[in-house]
Amino acid sequence: MKLRTSARPLIPLALLCLLSACEGGSTPPPANNLPAPDEVAAVPLGQPAGITDTPVSALSTANPYADNPQAITAGKALYIKMNCAGCHAYTAKGNMGPDLTDTYWRYGGLPIQIYKSIHDGRPQGMPAWGAALPPREIWKLVAYIQSFGGTMPVSDYRHAREGDVPGEQVAPEASTPPPSRPHEIQ
Amino acid sequence: MGSGALKNRWMPGVAAWLFVLSAECAVQAAAPPPAAATATTSLSGATINFAPNDPAGEWHSQARDYANSRYSPLHQIDTGNVGKLRVAWTFSDGTLHGHEAAPLVIGDTMYVVTPFPDMLYALDLTQPGASIKWTFKPNPSPAAIGKACCDAVTRGVAYANGKLIYNLLDDHTVAVDAKTGKEVWRTRMDDLKTGATMTMAPLVVGNKVFVGNSGGEMGVQGWIAALDVDTGKELWRAYSTGSDQRDLIGADFKPFYGWMKGKDLGISTWPAGMWKHGAGSVWGWISYDPDSNLIYYGTSNPSPRVPAQRPGYNLWASTIFARDADTGMARWAYQTTPHDQWDYDAVNEDLLMDLPIHGQVRKVLVHFDRNAYAYTIDRLTGEVLVAAPFAYLNWSTGFDMKTGQPIVNPDKEPKPGIKLDNVCPPDIGGKDWQPAAASPRTGLVYAGIFNICMDLTDHPAGYIPSTPYDGMEMLRHPAPGGNLGEFMAWNPATGKKVWAIKEKFMTMSGALVTAGDVVFYGTADGWFRAVDARSGKVLWSQKLGSGVIGQPISYLGPDHRQYIAIYSGIGGVATVRADKSLKGFPAGGGTLYVFSIDGDAVGMGAGVMPAASSSSAKP
Repeated sequence: MKLRTSARPLIPLALLCLLSACEGGSTPPPANNLPAPDEVAAVPLGQPAGITDTPVSALSTANPYADNPQAITAGKALYIKMNCAGCHAYTAKGNMGPDLTDTYWRYGGLPIQIYKSIHDGRPQGMPAWGAALPPREIWKLVAYIQSFGGTMPVSDYRHAREGDVPGEQVAPEASTPPPSRPHEIQ
Repeated sequence: MGSGALKNRWMPGVAAWLFVLSAECAVQAAAPPPAAATATTSLSGATINFAPNDPAGEWHSQARDYANSRYSPLHQIDTGNVGKLRVAWTFSDGTLHGHEAAPLVIGDTMYVVTPFPDMLYALDLTQPGASIKWTFKPNPSPAAIGKACCDAVTRGVAYANGKLIYNLLDDHTVAVDAKTGKEVWRTRMDDLKTGATMTMAPLVVGNKVFVGNSGGEMGVQGWIAALDVDTGKELWRAYSTGSDQRDLIGADFKPFYGWMKGKDLGISTWPAGMWKHGAGSVWGWISYDPDSNLIYYGTSNPSPRVPAQRPGYNLWASTIFARDADTGMARWAYQTTPHDQWDYDAVNEDLLMDLPIHGQVRKVLVHFDRNAYAYTIDRLTGEVLVAAPFAYLNWSTGFDMKTGQPIVNPDKEPKPGIKLDNVCPPDIGGKDWQPAAASPRTGLVYAGIFNICMDLTDHPAGYIPSTPYDGMEMLRHPAPGGNLGEFMAWNPATGKKVWAIKEKFMTMSGALVTAGDVVFYGTADGWFRAVDARSGKVLWSQKLGSGVIGQPISYLGPDHRQYIAIYSGIGGVATVRADKSLKGFPAGGGTLYVFSIDGDAVGMGAGVMPAASSSSAKP
């Protein structure tokens, strides 16, 4: 899986920190380093009609919090606190909502596309969090999701969008039952 | 289990019927089986009221009758010839979510409903291969998919007054003209924005159709409602939490046990305001007793699943209710798991029987709860007559018959943030919604059950509308024995298992028992089996395309031949995380399989070549 970013071990979460409590550290970049709103707005959900390519500058927008341990820890706390775990599972391997650890992305696996999915919501039940969470918190959630290793690297956005990525061998007799559904019952 | 001794006692009787039945089978359609057999060989002496007494060869509701027996009086297929069952025809409906519903057969038409997008097909049984008469597309909102905790399923359709009535995942109840496939009415019953969905199968009694909501994991307000069959107008609605007024609890309410007596317990057994997001959704089965005019159903787990957030009994979550069918007013209630700490909903079916207990015939309901106790309850009073574990459990150390309460094992009570290993059964229980069947010939109840435990960690949850209000992190694993599933016969008078078949994967299909003394069920890894109702011997097995979580039915075709029908399509909660050494879990599917002796069917045979115009030609 050359196109995956390498998975990083998660920092154990000592405390379920509150939103504000996660802000105090020295590592996260200042808020003015966040991608500009018009940059985010330029990312289309589908393939643009009539032109041959999406502007590189939009899709290749990087997550300023990517690989930042403190942001990942804050993102995990948010993931539980905002009930993301209720749909995508505490393992993030999917349940009511899709698996966030694998390399299949219904609405795109680039950091900016994941940001948009969280910010705007998606039609099959994903709530839109843009009104409830400020952009920097959403980027921390994206950082947490990136830490699973299944997202698409910014440098390879063309491959990701065109499906030009290697497949995986999943022999039935070697596989565990389909996506872990650790807590799904009514 | 004593099955050897039972087998010996039964054998002469079984042989005699086989002879009678096989001689009769050549010509019989739906003639009743020999009555004398019932009296001499029933293990419990149970009788069942089969109202509304639909035609023997048809299947008009999910459970076939108000009592929820899932008993077919057909007996062309019996223990002697069931081994010759072969595929007669199949039908793929083009959807891949879990297939949990039973087909209906009304006259010469079969009706099947798909999981999301909840399409309805009418199949012409007079035609070779059962061609499609019409398709109804209700166009539910796709947003509902992500609000349904346990896959975008439906548990089926009800039929009444020429209409097919069912619930859409996006909280609408619709009625469709059974002849034309046109929508007759559509009533919006809940708000998707709260996370509520609808997955249960309605029950129709007279001019009323009873429906309820899903969303025990979303902190919804659970309710059951009655609608007018002809117009879809709401006649009454009873909530599961809150004031007596909104719960339709009044002067007639007489619970058997003192701890459920008092004013507004749907408020006072919760911390302030918590009842507003306390669930108690009504996503399981409803049964009906024509003599008392009472309906019976259960409510879901309390929300959130973290018990530390809601000290108190949390009434009326995880509760069985008896209500007047006309007014909705509660007659009695019984909370199976007080202050439920493990997601033990009480929504499983309530099977109505008249049963001799200690020399006296009692009107009872039989209920296999998620908490792994099987209850035989006086259905007029709510008194627990029998309570016995039917599956492996360790959350409870015994049962107090005086209070009607299980005794909780303090070692298995979750504490926030602390991992608790090996709690049995898990959230899905010793048995989930998959309905049991009962035979008046054997007096036994047949059910697919689980053998599963869980490790859990509770995380206090905040209520955010339209997101899960849950908090239970957990992983399931097999209970002692290593098998995840089991199919069993149960004596509801004694509270004892008569026989059991262990299954590697979950046994999560409904059960069907017939007057031919054959029981049918399916497994999560796609085996569909026929079993001798008396001995538990597996007589026939067929591997289907996907796993089986549907409900088998039996019907007579226009050719007066008995058929068995079952959906294959794994999904729902059967996709349990299992031991890593378990191999062979199937992929999804959406195919109806119909079986007959030797695979014979209408217009079929070697080299059959139905004319292109056959869909308009009656045989």
